[in-house]
Amino acid sequence: MKASKKIIGTLAIPVITAAVLLILCAASGKSMIANRTGFNYFTLYAAIVMITTMALSINLNSGRFDFSLGAMAVLASVLSAKITYGLLSGGAGSAALMLCLNVVIGALLGLVSGGLYVTLRIPPIITSLGVTLIYEGVTFTITGGKYVMTEVRNASMTAFAGNWYWPALIILAVLAFIIYLFDHTRFGYDYKALQSGQKVAVNTGIREVPNALWCYVICGALMGVVGFLNVARSANINGGSLNFGSIGIMFTAFLPMFIGGYIGRFSNDKVGYLMAALCMSMLNSTFAAFSNEISASTQSIINAVLLVVFLIYLNNEGLLKKILSPRKA
Amino acid sequence: MDNEAILRKYKLRQKLINILPVAALAVLFTILVVTVQAKGYRLDMYLKIVFNEGVVLAVVATGAVFIYTLGSFDISLGASTLFSATMGVMTYNATGSLALMILVIFGAAVGCSLLSSVLASVFHIPVFVTTVAMMSVLSAIAAQIITTNGGAVGGISIPSALVKPLDNMGFKIAALAVFWLVCFFVFSFTKIGRRQKFLGGNPVCAQLTGIQVNKYAIIAFVMAGLGVGLGAFLTLVYTPSVTATTAGSIGMNIVVAIVFGGMPISGGPRSRIYAALVGGFSYILLNNILKLLIDSNIGYGVSQIVSAVFFLAVVYVTGLNYRSQMLPR
Repeated sequence: MKASKKIIGTLAIPVITAAVLLILCAASGKSMIANRTGFNYFTLYAAIVMITTMALSINLNSGRFDFSLGAMAVLASVLSAKITYGLLSGGAGSAALMLCLNVVIGALLGLVSGGLYVTLRIPPIITSLGVTLIYEGVTFTITGGKYVMTEVRNASMTAFAGNWYWPALIILAVLAFIIYLFDHTRFGYDYKALQSGQKVAVNTGIREVPNALWCYVICGALMGVVGFLNVARSANINGGSLNFGSIGIMFTAFLPMFIGGYIGRFSNDKVGYLMAALCMSMLNSTFAAFSNEISASTQSIINAVLLVVFLIYLNNEGLLKKILSPRKA
Repeated sequence: MDNEAILRKYKLRQKLINILPVAALAVLFTILVVTVQAKGYRLDMYLKIVFNEGVVLAVVATGAVFIYTLGSFDISLGASTLFSATMGVMTYNATGSLALMILVIFGAAVGCSLLSSVLASVFHIPVFVTTVAMMSVLSAIAAQIITTNGGAVGGISIPSALVKPLDNMGFKIAALAVFWLVCFFVFSFTKIGRRQKFLGGNPVCAQLTGIQVNKYAIIAFVMAGLGVGLGAFLTLVYTPSVTATTAGSIGMNIVVAIVFGGMPISGGPRSRIYAALVGGFSYILLNNILKLLIDSNIGYGVSQIVSAVFFLAVVYVTGLNYRSQMLPR
């Protein structure tokens, strides 16, 4: 594929999305990103979407559906917020410590989830249902079902959320790490081999169990980062989610995962996830600009319709091209 | 050990595993009775609570067995129940006709299911993603209607006197029995059930023998829609008002119930129509026992953890005979 085609293919969807949304905003006398605060939230949301999408896709692309991503993010945040507050009482460095703890605790929670899966050897979708219930239950027990606020409302967290370059740095660091890990290491090659042919890969000597465990650990660590970013965005943690109330977090990642996968054909699927996250963040900023006219319910409907329309295109691309291409005599 | 002895041992273990879900239901029922009497509470009241909670889950999950038998997965059934109940209430409030209300409830439920199946089979969208989108759309529309017409907290309602004559065990047992027997007949004594099990077990082989996937997928979704319609009506009979959280946890509880009842999530020939009935009531019994035993706000979290561990243990034991060398996906 030519370099120009790769660049155009990678940037086309974000550029078109930006153009359409900017025109819509301009036509209504609004701006998508009105000020620096708007840009800070834009970057923060893009980071949340990109990292959630990556965490979702790591296991989903290998046929392992994981409902526990949201519960992992929330539990990691609650535990790290409590520990950080216990150590620093909301003082300087709280955000940095909480982020580090979130990653470590998230990775441990991922390890527990993956450990259960490889030990019990029951389908991952079922294991993840059980793990979700357990993590939600633990969160509820720790928080008493209440919001965690005091522990996460401090100058350090406010400074983090108030500067776009922190989330931007996290985006770059996670992107570089995931590209290196999955595209340039033996772990990544084994992962791809197992993804495309489990039986053949196992028969050739690839060790499936350690690979699966690492996938869960990485997902957990990524969701730890997401948990931290969500706390920075909302300045609280909802500790009252029970009975699968936490799974909503991962539904935000479906549309960007498919868009990212499509863009990935022209460059790299991880870069695709970033581009898709930027599109979703632009859409989110536009919704915020139109918050008086578009309710939360309408936003959900628009997102779901976009998902369906994009999937209809994606799964019928060949047929559409055949219909739209000029017939030869 | 000779082959015959191994086979005998395998068959015995298989028999034990097959009766485990029913045995678990009997044990849980006994524990509930003993716990309620030990605490000095009214047994008839608790049995009524368990039955009212269990009957809706059992009805919706029994319909959903047809979808799960195909190896598909529908996460939108809870939202569909909410949407159907909402449309029913709106219809009654506009027309004052109970018959029309019931018709609209079933029409909406089957319509939603058909839309999911058409999107999945005609446009080749993965079923799970279609149902994720449907879940978002249906909950958003229902929430919008409820908030606009009655407020987010109070919701919308029908006069309680209208459904009071039906709010008794006799009617509900009859409704459950009729629906279950219809499903049992279709699933066990017609080619629909047999072909659906074949499709779930080996879709490629089934298609090569001439079985039409789309036809049986649509039938499965229609059966699930009928279950959702009956579930929505029974929900209204029990509580004649609908809020945005009505039936919120049913979507995921169906999965837990079906697996709890001893049916594999992958569907196929080991699918059992009684799994939803047994699993649904077992899950509700377990939750109520734990609520009785752990009597505090934090207890909700602990009871969810215990319930999840029990769930994983049951699934592990029932799947003992089906372990493979590779990790399941």
